[in-house]
Amino acid sequence: MRAAGDTKVVRGIEVRNDPAREPCFTIVHLHHDVPDAGNETVEARQMRAHREYNQEVQTLEVAALCLVDFPDAPWELRMELARQCWDEARHAELSLRHLEGLGGWKGMFPIANLDWSVVAMLDSLPARLAVQHRTFEAGSLDIEIAAVPMLYDMGHDGHAEMTDAIEADEVQHVRFANEWLKRLTDAQPRAVLQVAAAMAWLRRLVEATSLDPLKVIATNDETRQMAGFSRAEVAHVASMDQPMPDPPGAANSGPSDD
Amino acid sequence: MLTVKERGQFVATLRYVYVTIMETLSAWVPTTPEMETKLLFGEHIWDAAQHADSLGKRTYELRMPLQKSIRAADGYVDLLATVAAIGPTSQRLAAMYDVLLPALAARQRRYIEQTDKLVDAPTVRILERYLADNTRMIDSAQALRHELPALQLTDPQWAAALRKREASLDLLAPAMPEAAAAVGA
Repeated sequence: MRAAGDTKVVRGIEVRNDPAREPCFTIVHLHHDVPDAGNETVEARQMRAHREYNQEVQTLEVAALCLVDFPDAPWELRMELARQCWDEARHAELSLRHLEGLGGWKGMFPIANLDWSVVAMLDSLPARLAVQHRTFEAGSLDIEIAAVPMLYDMGHDGHAEMTDAIEADEVQHVRFANEWLKRLTDAQPRAVLQVAAAMAWLRRLVEATSLDPLKVIATNDETRQMAGFSRAEVAHVASMDQPMPDPPGAANSGPSDD
Repeated sequence: MLTVKERGQFVATLRYVYVTIMETLSAWVPTTPEMETKLLFGEHIWDAAQHADSLGKRTYELRMPLQKSIRAADGYVDLLATVAAIGPTSQRLAAMYDVLLPALAARQRRYIEQTDKLVDAPTVRILERYLADNTRMIDSAQALRHELPALQLTDPQWAAALRKREASLDLLAPAMPEAAAAVGA
């Protein structure tokens, strides 16, 4: 778990300090400060690829931290997290290859590590699964599903295929989290309170750190059901007036349809 | 011939070591600045987990609980803790890929030489598969350092000293010294 002094304050809320990064990176603390110019120009696509690269690395870091912080978690769950580490490492490598194919390089744009800073503050594994997998990654599923046809339409077939392949892996990550959340909360009802507290804290944090209104991303029913959400849960998310907060990392990485 | 109990202790102890390696690599991911190295560790977390899982299934076949780990000898546990506490990336890479993984491979080869390859065939298969993975992991780290020379260890004596320390240690805890002697571990 985190050591004393291992936190920072962003807009009045204490979050975990950034993970280690090379000096070539400029780190900012709000997603608003990470450049995002849509998908039309080469520079805009470089920005997106750069964001995706750092996003995948953060997700790897979160999964790895869960293995460190919860050594007594069920072995089958630890295996899922270990597998996720490899998946996210591959995704990061794919994103970097894509970035370099566009003439970009790591450190080209500022990065924010807010996903890490949020999830690494949570002291229970059910809370981390609820926030990282069930909220952030499930939100990314909706975004990626919407992005694939858009990228094909724009003629970016390679990027579309890469995004589609990554999405297939991410479904499994959300699915195992859904399965294990059910098992963990069944076995230990106190975990429900931990999840509820984490979600309430996340909402406060998103409100504090979002300069723009949250984007509304259409919920993809089929993919969410594949990932283990029940029909009722999907309907609930889809019907919310104010949708579940976009994952901080995903809020900037969706298709530029606004 | 190694007894079932002796074979079980070796397998369960090796599982303990691979779980520790998985946790060490995991701890290094957020604390290592170089992105390429993070990704290398991320891949190998899964390799270490798979090895631990295979060994943990084998413990059940050797009259132990499923996924049973046995703590290694104190000296070896201290060595693993020393490795886990390393900070500089070049030393992390050298400790894992130039010292620990090759040394564990050597211990497993010695076990394969000494166990009955028919009686203990399932363990031998697991270890042989590991040896192929081990070579791939070491080669990947070597290729990374070739590509990024800044990750090379500047003081080869540092790794030599760690290697010497590893070689001087028993892997198995003294609960069953006869097993340690039998498998040369």
